[in-house]
Order: sequence, then C-alpha cells, then structure tokens
Amino acid sequence: MELFQALGLNGKILLAQFVNFAVLVFVLWRFAYKPIFKFLEERRQKIEDGIKNAEQATQKLIEISEKEKEVIIEAKKEALNLINEAKENAEKRGNEMIKKAQEEASLVIVKEREKFNQEKTEMFKEMKNNLSELVVLAVEKVIEEKMSGEKDEEIIKKALNN
Amino acid sequence: MNLDISLSSDILFNIGNFPVSNTFFWTVITSIFLMSVFVLSARKMKSVPGGFQNFLEMLLEGAYSFVESVVGPGKAAKRIFPLVATMFIFILFSNLIVYIPGQSAVSLYRDGGSVAVFRAIMSDYSLVLVMTLIAVITTQIVAIAVVGPFKYLGKFINLKGPLDFFLGIMDLVGEIAKIVSLSFRLFGNIFAGEVLGMVMLFLAPFFVPLPFMFLGLLTAVVQAFVFAVLTLVFVSMSLELKEAEESKQI
Repeated sequence: MELFQALGLNGKILLAQFVNFAVLVFVLWRFAYKPIFKFLEERRQKIEDGIKNAEQATQKLIEISEKEKEVIIEAKKEALNLINEAKENAEKRGNEMIKKAQEEASLVIVKEREKFNQEKTEMFKEMKNNLSELVVLAVEKVIEEKMSGEKDEEIIKKALNN
Repeated sequence: MNLDISLSSDILFNIGNFPVSNTFFWTVITSIFLMSVFVLSARKMKSVPGGFQNFLEMLLEGAYSFVESVVGPGKAAKRIFPLVATMFIFILFSNLIVYIPGQSAVSLYRDGGSVAVFRAIMSDYSLVLVMTLIAVITTQIVAIAVVGPFKYLGKFINLKGPLDFFLGIMDLVGEIAKIVSLSFRLFGNIFAGEVLGMVMLFLAPFFVPLPFMFLGLLTAVVQAFVFAVLTLVFVSMSLELKEAEESKQI
C-alpha cells in the first residue's frame, strides 16, 4: 500500500478521475462526434447527389444534341426530297402543259385549215354561181334573146365545167 | 533552489474533505476546454469548411478510418470509436499544454512549502490508471459479449491437462499485465519527461533543455497515439476471439 500512497492513489481521486473522464467521453461522443459525423455524412450524400445530377445532366445534354443532329439531318433529307419531288412535278407538269399546248395549237391549226378550206370552196361555189349569173346576163345582153332560163344555165354550167 | 520530485501529484486545496491535486485541477479545466471547443464547433459546422473545421474534420475522419482499418468496418468501429478517439485527443492535448511557456513558474504557497500549480496531467498515475482500467475492462466486456461468459472464463481456468492449465494461468497474468504495462508506459514517459525537463532547467536553463523539449514533444504525440492504439488493438483482439474459436473447431 506504500506504493499506492507514493503514486498518489486514493479512492476519492480515482472516482473523481473516472467521473471526469466518463463525462468527457460521453459529452464528446453525444455532442461532438455524433453530430459531426452526421453532418459529414449528409454533406457526402449531398456532394454525391450533386455529382450524379451533373453527370445525368451532361448525359442528357449529349443525348439531346445527338437527337438534335438527327432531327436536323432528317429535316434536311426531307427538304431535299420535297424539293426534288417538286422539281420533278414541275418538270412533268411543264412538259405536259407544253404537250397540251402543242396539241391544242395543232388542233387549232387543223381546224382553221379546215375552216379555211371550207370557206374557200364555198367562196368558189358562190363565185361560180355569181359568175354564171354574170355570164348569163352578159350573154343575154349579147344575144338579147332570152332563152329559157333553165336551159341557158345548163349550157353555161356545162361550158364552165369543161 | 531545490528540486522536489514526487511520484504523486501535489494537493493544491481541499473542497470539503476532497483533496484537489494540481493534476486533477488541470484535468477538469482541460476537459471543460475540450468539451466546449468540440461541442461549439460541432454546432457551427458549415457546408464549406474553413480553418478549424477543416482540421477537426480531418482529425475525426482520419481517426475513424484508422479505427475501421483495425477493427473492421461496421458496428464495432462505431461503438469503440468514441472511447479511443477521446483517449487520443485528451492525452494528446494534456501532453501538449505542458509546452505553454511560463506555467511551470507558477506556484502556490501552502503549509509552509511551495506547490507547483501546474503538473503534466498524465504524470498523475490515478488518471492514467483509471483510463487503463476503462480500456482493459472494455476489452473484457467485449470478449465476454463475443464468446460468452463461461467460454471466456474457460480460457483462463483450463483443467484439460497440466500444460493447458499453465497456459490458462499465463493468459490471466497477461490480462493483468496489460493494466500495468499500458498504464506505466504512459505515466512513465510523461513523468520522466517532466522530471528530465525539470533537471535540465535546473542544470542549464538556457538552450540546453531545448532538444529535450523537442523529444518531449515527440513523446507527447507518440504516447497519446500508442495508448489509444493499444486500447484499440486489445479490443480488436477480443473481437477476433470468436474467429479463433471457430477456426479451432474446424
């Protein structure tokens, strides 16, 4: 026991030291380590979420830009198709119209020619008629003798037709 | 000038019939200081750490990952961490406040003689013994919780044969030796540092004590670490008892 005395060991002091240390451990654990670790965990979670979100956002951005490109390419293709179609259509139509116009023109020409020919023959007929009358009149005047009209005409016609 | 070196700490004053020694006085002050610093900084944690908070986070996270690396991640690490971390922080801080200049010059006149108001906190054997007892009893509790009380007792009192009996007794001695070795390692180092510093200051007050002070600084950090880590290792040994038992059966 002399050793204990020399070392200053004493029941009361031991108990006091124990209580003191126990309180220190308890307070540090309950009010320092626990909240600090909780806080650190929360912050770690927050940072992790942030990084995840950022990654997702970049991924989405890439996807969107790719989609955009695709859409643009498709649109260009479609536009080109449309233009080509329109060109073809226009060419077709133009050709058709030209053809139609030509046909119509040729039709008109044929009709006109026919009309012209008809008129010509009619004119000739009339002229013939008129001419025969004139000739009759002239002959009447010359011969001053009127023959029977019908016979006369017949004769003249014969003469003209020859 | 005379040197008075005593193994025990000196009584500063009495509260009722409770003797308040200089080490106990400073133990209480250090504890209050540590509690207030830690609790206040835990309250004021910010998302973007600065200065002291950075240091605190680094200290605690480093300590926790160290504990995990020794006892393995999980519940055990979480349970033992407060004790071990507090031991480390408390011992380290107690050892370091010795180096506040001027404190060793303050003394109190009492009963005709002078009593130094300040003494290295860990050079009080009663405190070191209390912490050691806490550490060793914790290991015993962990061991009993892991393998069960009767099996654990059977480890020490083994009647299978003379050799087994002898080994069992040796194990028992080993457990008791833990108390002695763990407590006197810390107490001896700090007390010796205290005495050495005193003697050096007495012999050659200028410049000569400096290397010894640096050595003492190293001791302060190393002993705090060693005490905490040994406690941790004892506990992890207790935790591994079950695995040893299982491997024996196979």
